[in-house]
Amino acid sequence: MSDDVTSGWFDARIVTGAHPASLLPPTDRDAIAAHLDRYALSGALVSAMASWLHDPIGGNVEASAIAHDLADHGVLACWTAVPATSGELDSLTDLVDRAVDDGVAAFRIHPASHGFSPALLIELYDALQTNRLPLCVDAAELSWPDLNTIATRFPELPIVVSNLGYRKLRELWATLVGHTNVFVDLVDFAAHQGVEWLAANDLADRLLFATGLGVRDPGESIVRLAWSGLDDATVRLVGSGNARRLLQGVRA
Amino acid sequence: MIGRRPQHRIVDVHAHLGPYSLFFIPESDAATMVAVMDRTGTDVTVLAANRAIQQDAHLGNSQSLAAVDAYPHRIAAYAVINPWQEPEHELERLAGDDRFVGIKVHPSLHRYPVTGARYAAVWAFAESTGCPVLSHSEHQSPYDAPRLFEAVAERYPGTSVVLGHAGITPAGVDEAIAAARRYDSLWLEVCGSQMTGPLIRAMVDQVGSGRVLFGSDFPFIDQRMSLGRVVCAPLTESQRQDVLSGNARKLFRWRPLPGERGVGQ
Repeated sequence: MSDDVTSGWFDARIVTGAHPASLLPPTDRDAIAAHLDRYALSGALVSAMASWLHDPIGGNVEASAIAHDLADHGVLACWTAVPATSGELDSLTDLVDRAVDDGVAAFRIHPASHGFSPALLIELYDALQTNRLPLCVDAAELSWPDLNTIATRFPELPIVVSNLGYRKLRELWATLVGHTNVFVDLVDFAAHQGVEWLAANDLADRLLFATGLGVRDPGESIVRLAWSGLDDATVRLVGSGNARRLLQGVRA
Repeated sequence: MIGRRPQHRIVDVHAHLGPYSLFFIPESDAATMVAVMDRTGTDVTVLAANRAIQQDAHLGNSQSLAAVDAYPHRIAAYAVINPWQEPEHELERLAGDDRFVGIKVHPSLHRYPVTGARYAAVWAFAESTGCPVLSHSEHQSPYDAPRLFEAVAERYPGTSVVLGHAGITPAGVDEAIAAARRYDSLWLEVCGSQMTGPLIRAMVDQVGSGRVLFGSDFPFIDQRMSLGRVVCAPLTESQRQDVLSGNARKLFRWRPLPGERGVGQ
C-alpha cells in the first residue's frame, strides 16, 4: 500500500452555504480552499445550499462564484434545475446552454425537496445527455423506479446517486447491474464493506469519491476510502479516475 | 494527505455481528470484522450480535461468544438483556461467563423504557459488580431519550451507563451532554449517522475528554464512517486518543478488555 494514492482525489460533492439544522464545518470560499489543501485534493464539484434550501435557480450564482474564485484549485460548479414553470424558468434547454457557457460540470435535482415529479424534467435530461453533463441526485430525492426510468430512457446520461446511507444496497445493486450509466458517490455511503463489495463485483468504475462537505462530515469519506480494503489502483480509480472520466474539466 | 495506514490505537465499544433483516450487510461475519480492524488500527471491538438485539437475546449472545472464541485477543462481548426475554436468566449467564465484559440494552427496539421495572435487575447488577452498560439512546424516544438516563443515574449512582449514539440527533447530543454533565456515571459514545466532528468536539468541551468513547456500530454501519469523524475532528491529539481508546480501557475494569488490563487493576 502506498500513502501517495491518498492525494489528488477529486471531491465530487461539496455544498457551499450555511446548513440550517446541523453542526458542520464551514463551507465558504476559504473553508473550501482549506479543505482541499488539508486533504491534498485535486479539485471539487460545488453546488449551493441556497439552491437546495432557498432559491433553486438563483442559488446557482453562489456555486459559480465559488467555482470561478477557486478555479485554480480545480473547483467546478454544479447547478440545480427545477421544471420550467412560468415565471420561474423559461426553458431547461436554455438553462443548460447557459451552464455550458459558464463552465458548469454537472446538474443536481431535488424532486422531493422542491415538490415536483421527475417526469417534468425530460427536457433537462435530454439537454444534459446531449452535452455530456452528469445528473446528480440524492437517493432520498426520487424513487428507485423513477431513477430506473430515467436511466433507461437516457442511457448515455451519467446519473450519480448520492447520500445513499447504509440501508439501500438491495436497491442500489439492482440499479447498478441494470444500468451502466448509474454511479454512486461516497457521501454517506455507509454500508459495511459496501465499497469493497461493489469493487469485488467489478463495479469499482461506478464509485466516485465525494465528501459531502456542507451536508456531511468530510472525515467519513476520507477515512472510508483511505483505509478501505481496496488495492492502490482501485483507490486511485475511485479517488479521481472515475471523476476524470465522467466530468469535463477535472484535472489530471 | 491522510495516508493508508492508521495513526492511532483504537477500541471500538459499540459493534454488532451478523445479518440484519431490514437491509443487506455484505460480509457481516467476525473474520471480516477483524480484517477491517486490522486496516483501521483497532485493537479490540466489543460487540453484541444483531440477532441478540433484533430477535433472540439468548441465541444472539451465543453468537457473540462464538466470535470471542474465534478471536479472543480482538473481540469481547456484551450480553444483550431483553426485558421481555428472561432477563434474570441472561444476567446469570453473564455473571458466570467472563467472556462477557458488559451489558447491552436496546430499549427502543425492545419497546420498553430504561426507567421501567423490567430493567431494574440490569441496573442493580451493574451497580453491584461494576459491569458497564451500553444502551441505545435516541432523542425524543419514549424508551431511551437521553434525559431518561438521569433517573437511572439518580437511583443507581454506581452504575456506569454508556449512552450509545449520545442521543443520535444534534438536539439529542445536546440533551446527552446535559445529562452527562449532571451525572458522572453517564458516558457518551459517538457513533450515529447524524454525528459530526464539531458535535464530538462539543461533547469533549462540555463533558471533558475522559467520558467520551469511540464506537462505530459496525457492521451495521461501516466502521470507517464513525472513525473518520473522530480522526478528523477538531480535537487535540491527547483528547483524540482518550476518545479512541484511553477511555474504553478505563471504563472496562470489571472484566478488562483483551490486550491490556484495566486501569487500576
